[in-house]
Amino acid sequence: MRRKLPTFVLAVVVALATALVTASVAAATNGGLTPVQPESPNASHTLTAYWVIVGFTGAIFFLVEGLLIAFIWKYRSRGRGRAVEGPQVHGHSRLEVIWTVIPVLILCAIGIVVFFQLPKIDAAPASAHPIHITVEGHQFYWQFDYPNKTRSINTLYVPAGRVVYLKVVATDVIHSWWIPALGGKIQAIPGKVNYTWFKAPPGTYEGQCAELCGVYHASMTAHVVAESQPAYDAYIGAQAAATIGKQEWSGVCATCHGNLGQGGYGPNIATNSLLVQVAGLEQILRNGFVGGTGAMPPVGDTWNSAQIQALVAYVKKNVYKAAPAGGATQ
Amino acid sequence: MATRSEAVYPVGWKSGRVASWLVTVDHKRIGIMYIATSIFFFALGGLLAILMRAQLAGPGEHFLTKNSYNEVMTMHGTTMIFLVVVPIMAGFGNFLVPLMIGARDMAFPRLNALSYWLFLLGGLVLWLSWFSKGGAAHAGWWSYPTLSEAMPWASPGHGQDYWILAIHILTLSSIFGAINFIVTIHNMRTAGMTWMRMPLFVWAMETYSILLILAMPAISAAVTLLLLDRNFGTHFFIPGHGGSLLLYQHMFWFFGHPEVYIMVLPAFGMISEILPVFSRKPIFGYKAVAFSTLAIAFFSMLVWAHHMFTTGLGLGLDGFFMISSMVIAVPTGIKIFNWLATTWRGNLIFDSPLLFSFGFLALFTFGGLTGIFLAAFPVDWQLNDSYFIVAHFHYVAFGGIVFALFAGLYYWWPKMFGRMLDERLAKLNFWLMFIGFNMTFLPMHMLGLLGMPRRVYTYHHGGLWAVYNGISTAGGVLTAIGVAVFVANIWITHGLRKGARVGNDPWMADTLEWYTTSPPPPHNFDSVPYVTSARPLRDLRRRLAEDAT
Repeated sequence: MRRKLPTFVLAVVVALATALVTASVAAATNGGLTPVQPESPNASHTLTAYWVIVGFTGAIFFLVEGLLIAFIWKYRSRGRGRAVEGPQVHGHSRLEVIWTVIPVLILCAIGIVVFFQLPKIDAAPASAHPIHITVEGHQFYWQFDYPNKTRSINTLYVPAGRVVYLKVVATDVIHSWWIPALGGKIQAIPGKVNYTWFKAPPGTYEGQCAELCGVYHASMTAHVVAESQPAYDAYIGAQAAATIGKQEWSGVCATCHGNLGQGGYGPNIATNSLLVQVAGLEQILRNGFVGGTGAMPPVGDTWNSAQIQALVAYVKKNVYKAAPAGGATQ
Repeated sequence: MATRSEAVYPVGWKSGRVASWLVTVDHKRIGIMYIATSIFFFALGGLLAILMRAQLAGPGEHFLTKNSYNEVMTMHGTTMIFLVVVPIMAGFGNFLVPLMIGARDMAFPRLNALSYWLFLLGGLVLWLSWFSKGGAAHAGWWSYPTLSEAMPWASPGHGQDYWILAIHILTLSSIFGAINFIVTIHNMRTAGMTWMRMPLFVWAMETYSILLILAMPAISAAVTLLLLDRNFGTHFFIPGHGGSLLLYQHMFWFFGHPEVYIMVLPAFGMISEILPVFSRKPIFGYKAVAFSTLAIAFFSMLVWAHHMFTTGLGLGLDGFFMISSMVIAVPTGIKIFNWLATTWRGNLIFDSPLLFSFGFLALFTFGGLTGIFLAAFPVDWQLNDSYFIVAHFHYVAFGGIVFALFAGLYYWWPKMFGRMLDERLAKLNFWLMFIGFNMTFLPMHMLGLLGMPRRVYTYHHGGLWAVYNGISTAGGVLTAIGVAVFVANIWITHGLRKGARVGNDPWMADTLEWYTTSPPPPHNFDSVPYVTSARPLRDLRRRLAEDAT
């Protein structure tokens, strides 16, 4: 069967070339062979556990695939007929014990490493002044409640270098909170309260919802902005309240209705006078709306009246276009 | 039944070319219908996969709408699991189990036909749901509430109800089939075939059947509660009224993880049949391979919540399910090492079944090892629900199961139809699929590590995200061409009648199905030799050789 050789050699060359190209692309840009560069202690310890598992599983991988390729090479038929049998070996008890016990030991080692890293991943370091923030997943935005009862949408502001505890909740469907650089994910499940934490150096970190939550699942991104303590204080002191109307419009309404209210997945609402009627708008935001072409989720079911008034004020100024007397739209 | 053999192949309208298939209770014909129907759904599910890859080929594309992406993604998963892998295993089991154990047919031929027709009905219900009000189900193949509930902002259309109905029908089909397999295997083995002389594929089908009976009721119950929630005002999964979303996840995965092994154990069984024949050696460690099948099945019932590490179960449960999940790696490793040892010092005949078996071994090993990352729950918190997990389970489900299925198709094709598929096309099929598969799914690991969540209809990052997604889409096309070569091969072999006719035993195999003609007659065997080992055909060849000298 010598004629089989070229295919095999070709295959090995193709496989090696593909692996090399992929690996060099990934290594050159430091992307994709490990979880993203960790910026929070929990993410760093996760990365440590990841590397340990890479070590053990990598060794097993090269052992098994190496033996496979070696056996394919060494024991290929070379034109021996089908009637030629290999040695009729039915098994070997000692070998069976060896390849049962060694994997058990390896798994024990992995388990020990994981449990050793676990406390540093699961629990935040002791901190004198941790911050407690509630993260609420919604179709299709994230809402953050700060300790002083202010709120922001889609962008979470935190002071850099301080431990931040997140209480993760939801009211409509299941979402999953995930900022890869700041640790693993945790689901936001209606009817359940979950917790996670991080501690981030100054910077902006991106993530997005990791649990299918409906049509705009892919648009449910979140940013964490870690900034200096004074900047954070200023933000939750006044800026958050001052910009909440804009945040609500662009982070919640515009997803379906477009930045100018021109419509998209949802209908055109730029000239809909309901936009500027506080009571009517509140009714829709709190209870949702079932119309001719589709349904709007109760996106504002947890909003307070200040939020709704801020939205109306923003919309009145920036979005709403009362139909001109002539009746032409827009 | 057994005394009225004329009822199986009656005269008159029932013996027509089409009608004889419609009324058949012959396990071989039912098996072939199962396999053909599954391959048809495999093509449909593959088409959906290509649609998804087209949408994700570059950032911010508009090939599919958001809604249709979610429908396509849900239907791809549901189709591949419920309409392809589980039933095609039932198809192979149907064709092979009675032949392998030297029986005349399955224990309950009519129940067997019912299983098949229920499977087809379930598939039609699922696929016709595209045309229902509101389109097909779009909550993912897990159908997690509350997204799958009837609220106007969740899944108000009828697609989800048809999905539930299809699952109910397919569950019945699977359970009837499983009962049939168990009764057949326990009662109808030929003289001399003790449990330790049974082909390993039959061991796998026995275990597959037990797992189906244990796991299927869990999903039936879960989707029944969902159906009641959606249509009859109950609140099992509506938290505002005291329902629990985690309850559904527990019920679903109590079925969902054994389901993985329901799909993969018969694939293991095929590999355990094929490797020895093409290595010209007995399986290494028959008992280890057989008992590790049972061990995997047992532990598979104890690991379900490793799908739920990110739901906040608490460290106690997380720890338990991490350990139980890692334990499964041990019997799986035993199988891999025994398979490797089977090829050691063999006379490896590189026909397509062996090629696909080695493909299985290489890819399944990789998929198994990435599973260790996901079992380690703090690492899973980072990787779960990302593209890493999509890559992981496709290495198991496609690289593992589908490659084993192709090995099985090429191996048993001559027995089923009496003609050999073209070897050169078979090898082309393998290389296209092997390279295409790795191009499709290897980059997905990197995408997940970069932070791309699963089930997103688009993404806005350029750079590596776009590069990896582009490679993945190109690989998907290559894989599809590989599958098309297989279809062309069938056409050339049978449509153009180019395939060489074969005798009883073209591969010089070990097990009883090769004792009878290819294809076997309706009654399978004129006589069955007394079985004295796990390799009755080899024993026979040796006796003949001894008699000749």
